[in-house]
Amino acid sequence: MQWITLFQKETKENWHNKKWVWVPIVFTMITIMDPITNYYLPEIINMAGGLPDGTVFELPTLAPEEVIMMSIEQLSMFGVLIIALMSMGIIAAERNSGVTEIILVKPIRYRNYITAKWTTLLLLVWLSLFVGMFLSWYYTNLLFGDISFLMLLQIIFFYGLWLTFVLTVSVFFNTMFKIPGLVAACTILTVIFMSIINMIFGHKLTWFPNQLSAHIQELVITNTVSKELIGTSIITLSLTIIILFAAIVLFQRKEIF
Amino acid sequence: MEVLAEINWGIIAPIIVIQMILMIVAFIDWIKVEKTNGPKLLWLFIILLITTFGPILYFIIGRKER
Repeated sequence: MQWITLFQKETKENWHNKKWVWVPIVFTMITIMDPITNYYLPEIINMAGGLPDGTVFELPTLAPEEVIMMSIEQLSMFGVLIIALMSMGIIAAERNSGVTEIILVKPIRYRNYITAKWTTLLLLVWLSLFVGMFLSWYYTNLLFGDISFLMLLQIIFFYGLWLTFVLTVSVFFNTMFKIPGLVAACTILTVIFMSIINMIFGHKLTWFPNQLSAHIQELVITNTVSKELIGTSIITLSLTIIILFAAIVLFQRKEIF
Repeated sequence: MEVLAEINWGIIAPIIVIQMILMIVAFIDWIKVEKTNGPKLLWLFIILLITTFGPILYFIIGRKER
C-alpha cells in the first residue's frame, strides 16, 4: 500500500512537470527525423544547388530495415542523453531541497521510495520509446517499405532493455550524489566508458550490454532471435537488477541523518 | 513556389504539429511557474524563438522544481 501511495505521488509529479508530454514528444522527434530526411535527401540536395553536372553518384536506396535501425542509433545517442538529463534530479534535487527529509521522517521503507521512483521513470521511458518507435515504424512503412508490427514490438522490447539499464544507472548515481549535473555527467560517462570497452573488446564480449543494438540489427535482417540476443538481454537485465539493488543499499547507508 | 507545392504535406505536417505542441506545453508551463532558473522573460524568448531545442532546454534546465 505504501508503495502505491509513493508511486501515485511520482506519477502525479511527472504530470505536474509535464514529463509525460515532453519526453514522448522529444523521443518522437529523435526517431522520425531520419526516415523523413533520408526520404527527402535528393530534393534537399537539389534545393541546396544540386550535384555538379556529370557527377556519377547514385544515392543508395535504403531498405526499410536500415531506416528503422537508424532511428535506434539516434536513440542510442540522443535518447540516452535525454534520459540522463531528465532523470538527473529525481532523487538528487529532492535531497537538495529537503523534500526527501520530509518524506523520510515518516516510517517509509527506502526500498519503496527508490523502486517507486524507478518504476515511474521506467514507465515514462518505455512509453516514450513506444510512441517514438511506433511513429518511426509508421513513416518507414509509408516511405520505404514493409516491416511487420510484430518485428516492431520485438525491436521495442529488446531495445527497451538497454534504455532500462541506462535509467537504472541514472537512479544509482542519484542515490550517490546530491548535485543533479554531476549525476547526469556520471551517467553519460558510464555509457561512454562502456561503449569504449565495447569498441576494444567487443569481438570477445558478445554478450556485453552495448552489443544489444548490433544484435537487434541482426534480428531485423534475419528475422530470427539469435542466441546472442537472448544472452545479451539476460546479462543486461541482471546488471539492471544488481545496480538497482546496489542503489537501494547505498541509499540506506547514506540516509542516516 | 513549385518546390513547396511538390512536398507531400501529409508527411511534413505531423512534425510541425509536434513542434507546436511542444512549444505550447512549454509556454503553458512557463505561465504557471512562478520562478525559473535565470530571468523568466529570457525563457519566454528561448521557448518561442528557438524551435524544438528551446522548449527542451526550458524543460531540462529552465524549470525550477518547486
